[in-house]
Amino acid sequence: MTEVPTTEPLFIPALWLDGETAAVHEVLLILEDDANGILILEGKTERDAWPYADLRIVPDVAGPDQMILSVQGEETARLIVSAHDAGLIRARAANLRRRPPLRQKGKLAAWALAAVGSVALIIFGLVPLMANQLAAFLPPAGEKALGDATLTQIRQALDETGYGELPLCETTDGLAALRTIEARLTANADLPIEITVQVLDHEMVNAFALPGGYIVVFRGLLEKAESPEEVAAVLAHEMGHVSARDPSRIALRSAGSIGVLGLLFGDFAGGAMVLFITNRIIQADYTREAEANADLYAHDLLRRSDLPPSAIATFFERLRAEGNEDDTSILRHFMSHPALGDRIAAARAATPEGQVTVPLLEPAEWKALKYICD
Amino acid sequence: MPPPLRVVQPPPVPPQRPVHVEPTEFQTEFVGSRGRLFGLALWTGLLTILTLGFYRFWMKTRLRRWYWSGIRPGGLPLEYTGTGIEKMMGFLVAVVVMAFYIGIVNLVLMFVSFSLLANNFAAYAVSLAGVVPIWFYARYRARRYILSRTRWRGIRFGMEPGAWGYAGRALMHWVITILSLGLLWPRMTFWLEKYRTDRTSFGSVRLVQGGRWQMLYRPFLDVAVPVLGTVILFAYMRFTGDGIDGNLPLFWLLVPLGLWFSIGIVNYSVKATKRLADTKTAGDIGLIAQPRTGTVFRIYSVGYLLTSIAMLVPLVPLTILFGLMQIQRMQAGLGEASDLAHLFDLPRWLLIIVGLVLYFGVFLSWSVLRHVFVTMPLWRHYAQTITVTGVPGLTNVHQRARDTSTEAEGFAEALDLGAAI
Repeated sequence: MTEVPTTEPLFIPALWLDGETAAVHEVLLILEDDANGILILEGKTERDAWPYADLRIVPDVAGPDQMILSVQGEETARLIVSAHDAGLIRARAANLRRRPPLRQKGKLAAWALAAVGSVALIIFGLVPLMANQLAAFLPPAGEKALGDATLTQIRQALDETGYGELPLCETTDGLAALRTIEARLTANADLPIEITVQVLDHEMVNAFALPGGYIVVFRGLLEKAESPEEVAAVLAHEMGHVSARDPSRIALRSAGSIGVLGLLFGDFAGGAMVLFITNRIIQADYTREAEANADLYAHDLLRRSDLPPSAIATFFERLRAEGNEDDTSILRHFMSHPALGDRIAAARAATPEGQVTVPLLEPAEWKALKYICD
Repeated sequence: MPPPLRVVQPPPVPPQRPVHVEPTEFQTEFVGSRGRLFGLALWTGLLTILTLGFYRFWMKTRLRRWYWSGIRPGGLPLEYTGTGIEKMMGFLVAVVVMAFYIGIVNLVLMFVSFSLLANNFAAYAVSLAGVVPIWFYARYRARRYILSRTRWRGIRFGMEPGAWGYAGRALMHWVITILSLGLLWPRMTFWLEKYRTDRTSFGSVRLVQGGRWQMLYRPFLDVAVPVLGTVILFAYMRFTGDGIDGNLPLFWLLVPLGLWFSIGIVNYSVKATKRLADTKTAGDIGLIAQPRTGTVFRIYSVGYLLTSIAMLVPLVPLTILFGLMQIQRMQAGLGEASDLAHLFDLPRWLLIIVGLVLYFGVFLSWSVLRHVFVTMPLWRHYAQTITVTGVPGLTNVHQRARDTSTEAEGFAEALDLGAAI
């Protein structure tokens, strides 16, 4: 579109939408170089005058054959010009692509703040508060059934054949040894519900608590432990979770927070991953606190049971020394929680000088526990 | 602002003028190329990912402007005048309201289901049910917002408030449909569309949905009969004890039934759209829609096939990268060094970045190519097969006031009702 400089007025055919009726007006646009805008001429009548400076182009138009113009101050009126003549307009109107000023900035900022504030309030305030309150009201039978169902799900998920359940380890002598440790601890613990300790035949070095007082220990953990006191220390930690009803509380909390996060990230490509990561971060924040409290509970319980809290330290140190990060899921599990070094130090500090400990198992019993899965 | 009326000199030489003779019927054309759309969808999609999703309001706005302006009934394009900022505002409002509702309702339902059902799946199901009325509410609000930001020939469309009324009726119709084992589905389609249409205006002229719900029944048979056939087939195999293994020829009947059903469901959507459009009027103005089931079915099947094939471009290297990292990790765990491990001597952060780029690439290519191969061809087909009748009736159409409700489609956005565009 080359333009010949001229002082003669130019006439461009166009369609004018007046914005008041559905009529389409065939008009001529008069472009004069010394005028400061275009005149819209219908027949012999001048219908409107649009200043060059106020002309705007309607963006993202699909048809390449038309240029659609609007003017500042008139919301609905439009001019449709053939692309053939678009260059003539472009040469004169300098602000065609200027964006409209952002209105209601304050209101937008206020709502943005309100949204962030209410989400934060709900996720970090209301949901944990309600979860803590409600967890105490869970009927024990319901909690037990939930734990039962969850344990079945876990056993099915970990089963390598894919259609059975991971077997429980229950040799008679092994179970007897396990009950001895359990009895020593529960005698000194003040738990809201009865606990059920079970060993699963899996190489993972891990243990966890489920709703309803279920504590699950994997074979891998028993194999890595070198004394019954170390196993007792892990059990004491999990009993701390049972005492605080952590499994139910955390399940309730994540039910509340994941829905809210879904609102925020639901609708864009790949949003699921952002949602997942954010949920993990919030989850870790919930659990970090719970883990620290479970540790404190364990130190206290072990001392009262005449067992050394430092057993936790020796166990963690061995795992750390082996340094086989990928093999020791317990390490990674605890990594997202208070720093391992801090936990080792805390366990040592919690062990009184010259503590008189009472041995837990006879060597034969300990051996039976180690081979509980055979 | 009334236009100033002033007589000026006529032009000395009348230049070439666009001929704009208004006939009594308007054909509709669709302009716009796949290339432009590809560029626009890719660029706005990239910006959306880079802004962790916040640009999506502007992405939608720009894509809608493109799609709307591509449709030209009688040669004049539709215009979409929504803005990104009002969408974001509506979203924020919805988040404030919904966060309380969803956070607390989910938690309480989870508690109830723990206590009574000992099951968290039940809790999620019940919690989903709690969102259903809001979902319908949001659908209506989204349609109202979109219509209020749509213009043709400079005249705004609009829709009356009525979202809760819609939610109530939608729930009622769903209950009826479920109780009738789906047989009254067309009745629901019709009455919900009538509720929406009868509250819609083009400028000063009100739209009316005519016709009866029974007119949708013929196309519905092509959905109902194959479903019924499948049920009978299974019942027969069960009754006679000819299991799936025992009676293979009978089992193969499922293939034609499945094909019949998938074509039937597309046909129902196409024919319902057609019959509902043909019976809509706005004063003297009417519509004739002639979409073709074959074309729509072809667009869906070929379009999604092409989109899926193209999605393999980032998906295959992503899977290979993942697999290799897994193998390397296992070998490291066993203390074995291998050639594969050397392949990954690259710094870990680089692998993570490559992985992330590929991961988002999968979603991006899916959404961009779906626009190019599915949404746009569908849009074009439906546009090109629609005729506006009673064009002289346009002289009675005047402008309507702007709908200033600010929530835009925020609830639909928050509840992820994004649909295609």
